[in-house]
Amino acid sequence: MRFLSFRIQNFRSIVDTGWIKLSPDNITGLIGQNESGKTSILEALNSFYEGSISEDILRSDLSMPRVSCIFGISGREFTEILNEKLLPAGILRCIKDQSNITLDRIWDEDFSSRIEIGGDDIIQCFDEHYRKVEERDERIQSRIDKILVQKKKANDNLQLANQEKEKVSDELELLKENIGDLQRMVRSSPAESKGKMEKKLKSARNNLDKTRERLEAKRRIADEQHKTVREIEDQARYAEQSNEARMNFAKAEQELEEAFHNLAENQRIFELADSEKEKRAARIQLDLCNDRHVKAVREYERCREEAIVRRVLAYKILQGKELSMAEREIKQEKPQVDRYYSRVDAGNELFKFIPEFVLFEDFSSLLPNRIDLDDILSQNRNVEGYKAANNFLKISGLDSDFFKQISSRILKQKIEKLNNEITINFQDYWRQKIGQQNKISLNFELEHYDHSQPDKSGYPYIEFWIRDQQERLYPKQRSRGVRWFLSFYLELKAAAMEKKSRNKVLLIDEPGLSLHARAQEDVLKVFENIKEKIQIIYTTHSPHLIDLDKLYRLLAVQRAAEDYERSETMVFDAKSLTSASTDTLSPIYTLMGSRLTEQQFIQQKNNVILEDITAYYYLSAFLRMIKLSKEMYLLPATDVSNVGNLVNLLLGWGLEFIVVTDDDSEGKKLSKELKLNLFGNDDQKADEKLISIGNDNCLEDLFSTIDFKKFILHQRIGIPESNSEFIKINGYSRSILAANFMQTCRDAKLKFSDFDDETQDNFESLFREIQKRLD
Amino acid sequence: MQDENLLRELESQRDEIARQKKEIIYSLQYASLIQSALLPPDRIIKMYLPDYFVLYLPKDIISGDFYWLAEADECVLFAAADCTGHGVPGALMSILGISFLNETLKEKCHLKANRILNQLREKIMKALHQTGERAKSKDGMDIALCIYNPTTGELQYSGANNPLYFIRGNELEEIRPDKMPIGISGTEELSFANHLLQMESGDIIYLFSDGFADQFGGPEGKKFKYKPFKQLLFEIHKKPMPEQKDILVSAVYDWKGDLDQVDDILIMGVRF
Repeated sequence: MRFLSFRIQNFRSIVDTGWIKLSPDNITGLIGQNESGKTSILEALNSFYEGSISEDILRSDLSMPRVSCIFGISGREFTEILNEKLLPAGILRCIKDQSNITLDRIWDEDFSSRIEIGGDDIIQCFDEHYRKVEERDERIQSRIDKILVQKKKANDNLQLANQEKEKVSDELELLKENIGDLQRMVRSSPAESKGKMEKKLKSARNNLDKTRERLEAKRRIADEQHKTVREIEDQARYAEQSNEARMNFAKAEQELEEAFHNLAENQRIFELADSEKEKRAARIQLDLCNDRHVKAVREYERCREEAIVRRVLAYKILQGKELSMAEREIKQEKPQVDRYYSRVDAGNELFKFIPEFVLFEDFSSLLPNRIDLDDILSQNRNVEGYKAANNFLKISGLDSDFFKQISSRILKQKIEKLNNEITINFQDYWRQKIGQQNKISLNFELEHYDHSQPDKSGYPYIEFWIRDQQERLYPKQRSRGVRWFLSFYLELKAAAMEKKSRNKVLLIDEPGLSLHARAQEDVLKVFENIKEKIQIIYTTHSPHLIDLDKLYRLLAVQRAAEDYERSETMVFDAKSLTSASTDTLSPIYTLMGSRLTEQQFIQQKNNVILEDITAYYYLSAFLRMIKLSKEMYLLPATDVSNVGNLVNLLLGWGLEFIVVTDDDSEGKKLSKELKLNLFGNDDQKADEKLISIGNDNCLEDLFSTIDFKKFILHQRIGIPESNSEFIKINGYSRSILAANFMQTCRDAKLKFSDFDDETQDNFESLFREIQKRLD
Repeated sequence: MQDENLLRELESQRDEIARQKKEIIYSLQYASLIQSALLPPDRIIKMYLPDYFVLYLPKDIISGDFYWLAEADECVLFAAADCTGHGVPGALMSILGISFLNETLKEKCHLKANRILNQLREKIMKALHQTGERAKSKDGMDIALCIYNPTTGELQYSGANNPLYFIRGNELEEIRPDKMPIGISGTEELSFANHLLQMESGDIIYLFSDGFADQFGGPEGKKFKYKPFKQLLFEIHKKPMPEQKDILVSAVYDWKGDLDQVDDILIMGVRF
């Protein structure tokens, strides 16, 4: 997998970089002024990999950071890494169509973080999947809730029916008693009132019959309600079990969350612990938290599966299926009950295969004079030189057992042998990669603190030495260049020894800092040598760490308001370098000047003095494409105001030359001055030596607008004004455009015939004029 | 009572619509006057191209087709163009086209037909904010532009989708245009080609928009098409230029019959 682009949000001075592409040839340089945010970019990328951040990276609005990276990957690789069975069909199809993956590292307010698979298409697929799952779950839950409501209603109805039955039954008893009284009264009543009483009795008997009928009806209703309740209760039992399992799952989820936070917090406490005592105490707590977390994970998984199975079982029963059939079906459908990848799961799986990010920075990566053995063995990353020392031990194949050797004689012998091996390797690297002949060797010793440091007395430490033919010095006593290269060697060597299939992304902060110019260029050479295996992203201020022919490798970093250090960081990619400020691009400008001065341009004759580097790039690019009968040597001045000095210099040396100037106001002024000062205002003599591009034009105007857009600007927009006016209006850097054009000519192997007739006519005409003057 | 009220309401609406229509027509007629004023008058064209005709039949009152003529460095430049759409949008675009052509001529030092078209395209793209990434509009124009040098007899032609018919003796040759409009298109902008022709006495050229060939009509209500159009021009090319114009007008009216005119029609013929 190759690291292709990144986006950083809410990280120190960075609000949102937008998507930034890395150089296609594995070396990407970040240029910019101090405090522009270059190092923050490296730190953010390192945090993406490591997952840890500290409070001081938060912005004032406390928005939590997010770092996203895109890696190149084929659909086939995707499915090799991810288990296809754990991907719903829609997502699997979408993933197979991808040529890269986006991974987002998202931090929460407690500084914990997660990795998620991103990318618009994939997120859309996941959202669609979640929506469908949610709808299905809601449908099932609603059916479950419905049966429970029905059960309650049926119970209520049953209760009501029973109450009514009881009521009618009481009425009946009362009527029976009443009839008994009436019968007695009929028997005992005198003859004149007997008829009346019998009538009453008859009426009461009628009433009794009707009440009996009512009671019978109520009994039937109650029986039916009872039957309904029995039927519903059968189904409701499964619904209730499902809801119970759901609640247990919610509890388990909450417990897992608490256990995780507890674990993370104790992990942090453990990492921050200074003394051994504190560490031991923290370790005990950490172990307890770990146990709780492991239990919580197990319980969570059990409850999750239980909840799913119970819910599906309830749903099947509610659909009218027999219990045995429903259980059989669930057994068969087990894979579907299993968990699909969430975006976090998929992200975590893929994360295992991305390149390893390694931050190479001064504090931890430069070889220290000494380091406590305990710090190395307890992996205390907070001590100076930890990474460098760790690399050293890795290369030497040393572990804690090595230092347990009781015999100091054997230990010393072993150390001496290792010192020799490491020295040989380093000298080999030094010569091959750097081309230096210095005989430098790296030594280390195992020593013990004496009574001068009572708190550490008796504790072992490793001491490093860098030795050459003359002397043996601590790393910090050597030149920074030697120390840097040696530490870098350890990093590369350790990386090579890991023999992992994963690539590496090396994040290097200011590799050229304090190195002299040649050594900085050597750093670039090393980068070139390792770029096939290791992707490099480095920050620099130095022009010597920039390859002028490969400006596409650069990203410009600057503040939105340059004079305000609290304004946000902006990143310009290689295509929009020209939008960066002059200060940000200063290493490039410096390099443009210095490189030219290194070359042997000046000849006895046929020297062509140009106003500036812009003219040099355009004309030298065309000189390569047009075969001219006469050799000419292009000499750029640093700018138009220095042409006079260059002319005087060549005059002084008695060298032949001509001068080519733009026909803008500055060029016209220059021509006028040269004509007056050199040729005594003699038109004819001046005309023999001075060529103006004419028509108020600058050199860019010799391109047709179509070619200007196609080969220089790389944009499709309407440009009715002249090319030079367009550059001026839009604030583009002339020299960067010209340098990029020269690079385009080389990379695309452009021929003169690739330009249209207008461009060809204009440049042919200019070169004709130059040749005529040189004749 | 209700019916009377409804009738009155309808009559009032009808009168309002009639009033608005009258105003729109008046406004368009006035616009047409302005547009006509931007087209080169006959007497000027005659000064530079003595034997010529222009057949100009707008579909609506104002037109998206336009013809143009100018003089520079002892050469005469003339063009026939067809803007996207017709009516008001076409007319607005034609005004942009005429203005930009005049502007380009003032700026350009080299009189090359293709370079003028290249520059015209830049101006249209800029004016309409057309970019390669997300073109907001695909509007533009098709055009045939000629530059004739009466001293040398050299004729330059450059075409954006509009061809040039060239008749010498008994042969009609079609000079094909570049298949690109003046405006943004699907592919990256390339330079238009510059065609050079040496004119001889009696040679005839025709510049035109697609309105004539695309007119529906005839017995089956089909398009007139280019082959019969070419044939027609060839048949009449020996006739005097004004008569050719009359024949073409009759031909298009006969062809369309009762059908509507579908687009603006423009044909420009020049005999050298």
